[in-house]
Amino acid sequence: MEERGGGAGDFRKHTVDRLLRLNFRDGRTRVNAEAQLLVGELLKVFVREAAARAARQAQAEDLKKVDTEQVEKVLPQLLLDF
Amino acid sequence: MAAAGDEQREMLAQRLKAAVHYTVGCLCQEVEEDKDVQFSKQSIAAIAEITFRQCEIFAKDLEMFARHAKRTTVTAEDVKLLARRSSSLLKYITQKSEELASSNLEQKEKKKKKSSAAKGERSPGDQEAAVTENEDSNMA
Repeated sequence: MEERGGGAGDFRKHTVDRLLRLNFRDGRTRVNAEAQLLVGELLKVFVREAAARAARQAQAEDLKKVDTEQVEKVLPQLLLDF
Repeated sequence: MAAAGDEQREMLAQRLKAAVHYTVGCLCQEVEEDKDVQFSKQSIAAIAEITFRQCEIFAKDLEMFARHAKRTTVTAEDVKLLARRSSSLLKYITQKSEELASSNLEQKEKKKKKSSAAKGERSPGDQEAAVTENEDSNMA
């Protein structure tokens, strides 16, 4: 369909662009191609960090399954880091 | 008029949320294999929702950073500024940015040749050379 940089876990450039433009206050604000790719990378790191920290939290609690409780526990520090 | 716009915006937001949810699902699967844990559906949905909300913060910051530099276009510099809080994150993003810049440089070189050939700014001899090169780059 569209050009997809890497694996299935990548955010598409188009999706990133729409996500950002949805939240811009000024309709004239644009994002160049390089910045789109970088924000995609940043979002990927954000999700991986969230997942990895929640997984570590579950393991610290001797659980095999990550649930929202573990996500909630790692959320404050995650948001402080981004 | 405004109500219709709001509705459309809401529909777009729902579609984007679904796209984010899908990608988060893929990424969580990678972590599952990596760390030998399982993610409940609710936990994936929670991470997707957090990511979607975080996008709002990212977008508003990026817009302000660009405006601070008197630009209306968000560039790689603004994204680097966004990643300033964690030094390892900043390093990672800077490295990615350099990778992109070096790959873009090659493409730009080709484009430059194309556009100057099209404008016909060069002397006839040079132009001929540029045109043949242009054809070469199209072949590649």
